[in-house]
Amino acid sequence: MKKLIKPIEPIIGKSLDRVESFIHTHPKVNFLFGAIFGAFDGLLRSAKETTQTQPFIRNNYDVKRFMGAVLVALVIGWVLPATYFFGWQCVVSKLLVSFIIGVFVVDVLWAIIAREDHISEGGFVSCLLIPAILPPQSPLWLVGLGAALAILFRNVLGGVGNNLVNPALFSRLFLTICFPSLLVTGYQMPFVGMPDLHSFRYGLDAVTHATPLTAFKTNGEVTSYLSLLVGTSGGSLGETCRLALILSGLWLIKIKVVNWRLPVSYLGSVLLLSVFFSLLMGKTVAPPIFHLLSGGLILAAFFMATDPITTTYNQAAKWIYGAGCGLITVLIRDFTTLPEGVMYSILLMNLLAIPIQSLMVKIKYRI
Amino acid sequence: MLKEKENIGFKGGFNLLDTHPLRFCNIIERISSDGIPEVFKFRVPDQKIQHVIVNLCPTEPWALPNWVILEHKTAAFLNKLKEIKTRYFPEAKCYIAINKKEDEPVSAVKDYACNAEWMKVFAVDAKYPQDDPVILSKVVLDIEMDFGQDTTTQGVLILDAQTVLAIYENCMLGNKVDSRFIALSGTGLKENEIINVQLGTSLEKILRNRIKESGKYRVFVNGPLHGREITDLSQKMDWSINNVVVLEELDQKVMFPMFKSDELVLTTNMLGELRRCVYCNFCDDICPVDLEPALYYHSYKRGEKHKARLYNLAKCIECGLCSFICPSKLELLQIIKECKALDKQK
Repeated sequence: MKKLIKPIEPIIGKSLDRVESFIHTHPKVNFLFGAIFGAFDGLLRSAKETTQTQPFIRNNYDVKRFMGAVLVALVIGWVLPATYFFGWQCVVSKLLVSFIIGVFVVDVLWAIIAREDHISEGGFVSCLLIPAILPPQSPLWLVGLGAALAILFRNVLGGVGNNLVNPALFSRLFLTICFPSLLVTGYQMPFVGMPDLHSFRYGLDAVTHATPLTAFKTNGEVTSYLSLLVGTSGGSLGETCRLALILSGLWLIKIKVVNWRLPVSYLGSVLLLSVFFSLLMGKTVAPPIFHLLSGGLILAAFFMATDPITTTYNQAAKWIYGAGCGLITVLIRDFTTLPEGVMYSILLMNLLAIPIQSLMVKIKYRI
Repeated sequence: MLKEKENIGFKGGFNLLDTHPLRFCNIIERISSDGIPEVFKFRVPDQKIQHVIVNLCPTEPWALPNWVILEHKTAAFLNKLKEIKTRYFPEAKCYIAINKKEDEPVSAVKDYACNAEWMKVFAVDAKYPQDDPVILSKVVLDIEMDFGQDTTTQGVLILDAQTVLAIYENCMLGNKVDSRFIALSGTGLKENEIINVQLGTSLEKILRNRIKESGKYRVFVNGPLHGREITDLSQKMDWSINNVVVLEELDQKVMFPMFKSDELVLTTNMLGELRRCVYCNFCDDICPVDLEPALYYHSYKRGEKHKARLYNLAKCIECGLCSFICPSKLELLQIIKECKALDKQK
């Protein structure tokens, strides 16, 4: 690889230098395209800043790699399995719409209007999550709207590093409120009905099928655990193949991008509470393993609840945060009319993260 | 007496020796100063010394390695240490902290320690900053020190191997000690070398003909992590300088950095862009004294520098690991120093 790119390096380097100096000497061009060039340049070349204060060497690990690892894990965790189970027409078209509208339209426009120096790579993660948490039959405009809302919402709150709640989940909440029918009914079984032009616009409403959680809510039917694990059951586009999600999540934990405390406390509290409730109430509530393997729990525990900015900073507080997510999830699933509670639990705990954080800091430092 | 606890040490830290290994040429050349060399002087501390810690555990790859001083004659070294101890600190106990991965000196010290009641051996993990006085006395003696405090006020004397030998030569044999070994390394040099320098030699003379002709460079003494930068090369060598690191100044953009990590590390480049804190917890995972540097950053950013003091700021030993690891490239150590300075003004 190194040898392959060696001859083209000086050519690209020089032309990038030329474009950079052109952009910086023309304020109007800089105003419109500076952010896009900055992001593109940041992908190809390293920064030129040098250390001015102690310590004078830095670790070779930056936010770009951090986000890149999450992107790789998401592609392995849901894009590839979903392509297999629901067809590439369904997945690729949604990803394209999500990226183009989310990153290349809304984020770039925002960078121009708000005069940001560069567009953030965090947008790719949000836009890769949007199709995953929407039903497979959701029309493309819904995906585009979701991506636009997620990015817009994140930027309004101050961009990566300042967002209060998970942007992808917030946008799904917004869509659930505005278009409940599309988000409740758009589920199908895998390998059924490949989308065509008609379905891109209106959704593929001929072959809808209840998700395992809805099926349990309506007639107490428990889907086989194996099909839930492998992904041959219905559900949102990215949440069905739990096996791939668990494996990529474990990889993220291994390279320390994901803090292990969050998935452990979230999944652990769901398991404990569901065992407790099923001992207490018998067959009226879902069995524990079914709780763990159904719905968006695995996807959320490894990729949404662990979104570092919206969780607490303190490590001890992370346990409380994860346990709180688990408690709300189980309560909503078992005792309300809603079939799924993962989205609400994470959004609620996102809001509670700051009080939990300050409380734990007060306890730790006794102030 | 050998003491080897598996969990001895501290939470956090970073194993620099494994991640950035440096190899030194075996050439040991003597460089003499042009003027009259300074002479090493050992002053016995006024306070009563109860514990003498001998640090045989350099944790930075650019620090002077053990084999230069010990020369595979560990037992002879320990005999000298015993003589010093019986003469100057008869009531004190000696503690030897040694890198547990260096098999040969560890086994030699172990053999020696079997019939020596006056010393204890601690085979420790050589992760940075194990050799910091605060950490060392905490790990070995379980004594809490403050950063910057003179360790002798608590009856602890920390010596490195070279100082032990110099004390022996100077005080026991009466010879004049006017030179010491230093380790020269870094990406700005042609070769990594260990040299024997007379005290009082200027850095300019040491580095002459050793620096790569092409490119800019910056010079640091006692390592780029907690050492200081030298801009004036006419500065003279003294006994406190253990090593000199010359790093390439990489102030231009490099194409495809993802394929070139070996070229980029150990340069002064930031290796990333400045971003906001993303709460990744890297800084408090790596912190050797169990602080949460991101809290200082958030206090600082909100303009509440005085609040940083509440979060155990005084415990910070300024090892620089938080800034080193931060993926957002925040100047955490600088922020900590500013918050500390505010404390002092009051």
